[in-house]
Amino acid sequence: MRRGQRTVASAVGVYVIVLLSLQIFLLTVALDALQGDDPGLAWVTAALSVVLAGGSILFYRYVRAR
Amino acid sequence: MNTSDVPGWRRDFPFTAEGEDDVTRREFVRYLVLASGGFAAANAAIAAWSSLRPINHGRARRIVELERIPAGGAYLFRYPTKDDPAILVRLRDDRVVAFSQKCTHLGCVVYYSADEQRMICPCHEGVFDGRTGRVLEGPPQRPLGKIEVEVRGSTVWALGAEA
Repeated sequence: MRRGQRTVASAVGVYVIVLLSLQIFLLTVALDALQGDDPGLAWVTAALSVVLAGGSILFYRYVRAR
Repeated sequence: MNTSDVPGWRRDFPFTAEGEDDVTRREFVRYLVLASGGFAAANAAIAAWSSLRPINHGRARRIVELERIPAGGAYLFRYPTKDDPAILVRLRDDRVVAFSQKCTHLGCVVYYSADEQRMICPCHEGVFDGRTGRVLEGPPQRPLGKIEVEVRGSTVWALGAEA
């Protein structure tokens, strides 16, 4: 792999780690909503988490395309 | 390995290097993305469970004779099931209120401080209003679970736990 490609893969890895961190936070919020009998909040966190996962997939597709 | 499985470039360049079998950055990103999908699925599962799980709000039942609780005193009982500790308080103005005894922070059992008219969680010093159950101090974010109660004649009845 060329140096430029390695750099891109590293940068995308950092972005995905950031998204993953946000998802972990959302998971804790969802668990809190479960305990507090608040399904509305749990669904909002689920929707946001799915959006973040979609972003991760787009980043990965970008790396694969290069 | 069967020679047909070997890629063409490997036949042309049949040399290996140390670390060649290590996980590449691209593969690492793929694992991260798989984890991301797993978190999203887990979050959706929690939301679905939160919507679909049955919640027992309890049914009306007799709790205790009112005369057994002095004004400003508290009475411990279980509601809606025997695994749910609850606390009934007879306020100084003779009203009765009842709450789940589980602190909404991490589930420790709260006790009633008659002097301050507050529910106090000893684990992390969460403080709730003894009349309404709302949070006054400490780490809890949600009020105590309220239980509807009513005095029928001389007896206190629990009518149901609020969602």
